[in-house]
Amino acid sequence: MEYQESVDLVRLKVHGVLPDPNTETQIVILRDEQNADILPIWVGTAEGNAIRLALEGHVTPRPMSHDLIRSFADHLNVKVSRVVVTDVKNNTYYASIHFVAQGSERIVDSRPSDAIALALRTNSPIYVTQDVLKRRGGGNLDAWLEKLGAKNPGKYQA
Amino acid sequence: MSRGMGAMLQMKVRGLMFDPYNNAYIVILRDEDTSDMLPIWVGKSEASAISFALEGVAAPRPLTHDLMKSVLDTVDAKVISVVVTDLKDNTYYAKIHLMHEDSEYTIDSRPSDAIALALRTNTPIFADDEVIRKQASDELDQWLENLKPEDFGKYET
Repeated sequence: MEYQESVDLVRLKVHGVLPDPNTETQIVILRDEQNADILPIWVGTAEGNAIRLALEGHVTPRPMSHDLIRSFADHLNVKVSRVVVTDVKNNTYYASIHFVAQGSERIVDSRPSDAIALALRTNSPIYVTQDVLKRRGGGNLDAWLEKLGAKNPGKYQA
Repeated sequence: MSRGMGAMLQMKVRGLMFDPYNNAYIVILRDEDTSDMLPIWVGKSEASAISFALEGVAAPRPLTHDLMKSVLDTVDAKVISVVVTDLKDNTYYAKIHLMHEDSEYTIDSRPSDAIALALRTNTPIFADDEVIRKQASDELDQWLENLKPEDFGKYET
């Protein structure tokens, strides 16, 4: 059931996770493969850490929450096929996780942070709809990110 | 179903407390028959995942353990029990038992994830009695004595 990825969906990669110095949150930076578009998603500290652990390839002595979800999927023969950032409303992003189980596709609602943390642990592609990318907030985003990156050298790069 | 050699005690989540000395949270598990207590130290986000379930608050968007449950629901897998199985170097270990298409699966987990999932799926929580014996109860008593009254209350359920 490949839907029209080229038309509706843009594939993103996780560029990095950086702390937002103004709040107690972290920012997950997603970029498209040409580095033309950027989608920053604000997440909590624990959520940011779950993504960072996977990005850096850290293996923790005990399974973290998203390792446990992957382990459920592995045991039950369920495959994560893709995750999609599907909507943004009042600065809140929504996502869905697509699974294949027993030959059919199942879709589960998720926060983007969980979807991304799971995608990185299952080598699944991350997509965003064109519509969400168009509606993402922050007109002056690039300038803002540049400033933030300059303040946090090193942390900006994944 | 086999759960290994040790006897199992069924535990209830008695409460969740803030430990100001370690800047962490403690999930208190208690056996209702024997009154044996098992304190498990967890981080802030793990405590929050348990607290949401204890208070029956539905978050506007699914939290990580709601997602975990919805993944299992989607494929008709059922959580049958969670067990705190071991304690080594002050670290607790747990296992989650699942039924899926007439097969049982046993999956390693941190106790905090196991408890957060058990509370969302109305699944019994067990502890190996060896774990309860291993955790130094003297230490717990001493620790509880040091707590000020204001440390309780807010988190006790």
